[in-house]
Amino acid sequence: MRLPRGIRIERRLELPRRTSAALSAVFILLSFLVASAVFEMMGVNSVRTLSTVVSVFLSPPSLLQAVQRGLPIGLAALGLSIAFRMNFWNIGAEGQIYMGMFAATGMVLIHAYYGLIPEPLLMLSMVLAAFIVGGAYCLLPGFLRGRLDVNEILPTLMLNYVATLFVDFLVYGPWRDPQGFSFPLSIPFPQYARMDSFLGHSSYLGLLIMVVIAFLVYGLMQRTTLGFEMRVVGQNLEAARYAGISIFRTLLIGSFIAGGLAGIGGFTLVSGLIGRLRPRASPGYGYTAIIVAFLAGLNPWLIIPAAVFFGGLLVAGETIQAALNLPFAAVQVFQAIIFIMIIVAEFIKRYRVSIRI
Amino acid sequence: MESPEKLVEMRSITKRFPGVLANDSASFTLLRGEVHALLGENGAGKTTLMNILYGLYTPDAGEIFVRGRRVQIRGPKDAISLGIGMVHQQFRLIPTHTVAENIIVGARDVGFVLRFGRINERLSELIKYYGWSISPTSKVWQLTAGEKQQVEILKALYRGAEILILDEPTSVLTPQETVVLFQTLRKMASQGLGVVLISHKLDEVMAVSDRVTVMRRGRTIVTKPTRETNQRELAFLMVGRELSELEARPMAAGGKPVLEASGLQILDDKGLLAVKNISLRLFRGEILGVAGVSGNGQEELIEALVGLRKVRAGKILLDGVEMTNRPSADFIREGVAYIPAESLRYTAADMTVAENIILKSYRNRRFSKRIFINWKTVYDEAGKIIKDFNIVTPSPFSKAGNLSGGNIQRLVIARELNLQDNIKVIVAAYPSKGLDVASTEFVQRKLVEAREKGVGIILLSEDLEELFLLSDRIIVMYRGEIVGELPRQQFDLEKVGLMMTGVKGAEVKA
Ligand SMILES: Nc1ncnc2c1ncn2[C@@H]1O[C@H](COP(=O)(O)OP(=O)(O)OP(=O)(O)O)[C@@H](O)[C@H]1O
Ligand SMILES: [Mg+2]
Repeated sequence: MRLPRGIRIERRLELPRRTSAALSAVFILLSFLVASAVFEMMGVNSVRTLSTVVSVFLSPPSLLQAVQRGLPIGLAALGLSIAFRMNFWNIGAEGQIYMGMFAATGMVLIHAYYGLIPEPLLMLSMVLAAFIVGGAYCLLPGFLRGRLDVNEILPTLMLNYVATLFVDFLVYGPWRDPQGFSFPLSIPFPQYARMDSFLGHSSYLGLLIMVVIAFLVYGLMQRTTLGFEMRVVGQNLEAARYAGISIFRTLLIGSFIAGGLAGIGGFTLVSGLIGRLRPRASPGYGYTAIIVAFLAGLNPWLIIPAAVFFGGLLVAGETIQAALNLPFAAVQVFQAIIFIMIIVAEFIKRYRVSIRI
Repeated sequence: MESPEKLVEMRSITKRFPGVLANDSASFTLLRGEVHALLGENGAGKTTLMNILYGLYTPDAGEIFVRGRRVQIRGPKDAISLGIGMVHQQFRLIPTHTVAENIIVGARDVGFVLRFGRINERLSELIKYYGWSISPTSKVWQLTAGEKQQVEILKALYRGAEILILDEPTSVLTPQETVVLFQTLRKMASQGLGVVLISHKLDEVMAVSDRVTVMRRGRTIVTKPTRETNQRELAFLMVGRELSELEARPMAAGGKPVLEASGLQILDDKGLLAVKNISLRLFRGEILGVAGVSGNGQEELIEALVGLRKVRAGKILLDGVEMTNRPSADFIREGVAYIPAESLRYTAADMTVAENIILKSYRNRRFSKRIFINWKTVYDEAGKIIKDFNIVTPSPFSKAGNLSGGNIQRLVIARELNLQDNIKVIVAAYPSKGLDVASTEFVQRKLVEAREKGVGIILLSEDLEELFLLSDRIIVMYRGEIVGELPRQQFDLEKVGLMMTGVKGAEVKA
């Protein structure tokens, strides 16, 4: 790369953790500033916009909404944190979320149409089905990578479209609610299949699930032999082979868990937020999860607040949209600015840039 | 007599890494027309000092003068424009590109339109001048280690380097290639270049250098003309104590073979037959040396013997149990340790030193119960192993990638010798590569100790002296076949040397 005169880029030694966290914080604040500038250019009062964002996190009802929106993002990001540590660049969380929604809804339909699953077990079976189907959906790219050395990025990306269209097909076709005036919707879930049957709001159960899973993910990666194997595979394939680690097996298990967690994210969407299956139920939660996983530095504990933060942005976005008459894209612009700032922060953490004139 | 110009003068250089003082007000001068050897134990700070000269690190304190002028070297680009070139231990070449393409990558002043005709001409001139045989148009992956090194040197010369730093260049070379390299270095010196040579091999230092500087714990403790010193003194200066000679003892026991291979045929990475029909037996308590010019199938053979490479035909028995083409995890479990030639390649650089120590033994009941790793035991044990094997690191929690070259090698050896309680076979490829004299002796001692406990050891080395010192028996490989076998009483440099060039054992005797 050719740089202008006077600018140099040099690799840095490792930064202490605290400096690195402080850098991230500074850059998130910076992204607020840049976003304000963009909003001002669009003729919108940026102070009002940003105060709407902040107020989301200050009032309990909207904070609950933020958590609710953060659930699919956070669960998918927890899965991604495993995949990315394995150096498996899964960008298919979106599709895996859709497959999770499909599986969870399928269990409700089996229950409602055939009466096969008893009421008290329905919710549990939905979670399990979402995990298994979401995981299975991620197995194919895992298999291709492990056996044939096919890079996972393209397959995982393309499977997103397949999953979205598959759910479209179901709700426009066989799974359409017979009493639904031919809207493309599944039947509404019964109350005992809804997460808000617990304490009255789906965020409570959702947060509990997210914390338990973060704990499990942390334990898996840091305490178990399997997690150790996954980290070695992510670090250096040759070292892994030499250590007698089966790369194929590790990739399969890792990608299955990653996809499965995104699947559970899909479950929280249909069972928590929406209460039925509808087309385009996820407006890109699986992609936001990638940003969240990186913002949290792949640390499962930090993923929870990061996911809630992004969930809050979505909630704020709706308010802004309604109150200030901004398009939804404004929220996406904001997200994108944050993402770019994270990348810049990562770059600065790794390299020293000096300007000498 | 007029004293030659000082090409480089480094004064009181200090460089601190988290937890380590790598250079402690070190000083170093390089004169025009000299080969200057830089010596010191593993982790003494040699690579760091030279990386500072090449602009890879900025010193915390100290001054650098190049040709008498005070300079600030902020990156390799500055270094290159000052006429400084460096050849690292790991080559940084693009295998699928040609020699010429690799050389102009990153070079300045090649212009927008590449005129390969002129570039090739200039390169050919240089190649001819140094008496090498590479061609600017051949692809780098086709070259041997020695030839790749020539490309690296060529790269520096093409960019007009007058000051050339070579970091342990001979550790990747065969003895023949080393001879060629040293001729090159002498020629450069006579041309008025200054050459810095980092090496652990004292005989080489004595043979090729004009002056030596010895480093200990980050300090440069002495600089002397080479002819005013000797190997003994240098070793003493480096280590701070006298070294004891390892005495060779005869083989402890015979009896049953612990490892048996018959009719092995093994393919290399390109799918060519690298090992053609090899059979061998390794006995308990025996060190079996494998001699041969590198690239004659030894690497493929030992990889197969530890389960890292499939065999196309033949059988491998371990303690009488068939192991042919079983996964490498089985070999590890059955107690086959493997010290590979390239330690860094088999290290998880961003993981901790302790994690790398248990890289192969984490399944062991010592370190994990069912699926859980007991990190407390791991870090306790790792602390002990670090002390035992003298691995220089701030703590077991430090990143393995920050260790010095020799310390990574120590780590790998520690990892393998602590593989499990019941090690049956050790396969060691160039185990003392990159190690200083004291560590070399330490490792050799460890191998002999293991042999005394009844472990069977296969030792691959290009250093015939090391092979003769340690082995009970030597086999010589040439073009994928065993061309001869010698018991200890018949070891003979000339005989083995001839066999390495393909002369059959029987013909040598005649
Ligand atoms: N980037 C780094 N970060 C942290 N520590 C480092 C780094 N580079 C080197 N060190 C430490 O500095 C010390 C000196 O290392 P250096 O590589 O200069 O040793 P060396 O003399 O070249 O040794 P060897 O003969 O083993 O190659 C070592 O303790 C090493 O662990
Ligand atoms: Mg070094």
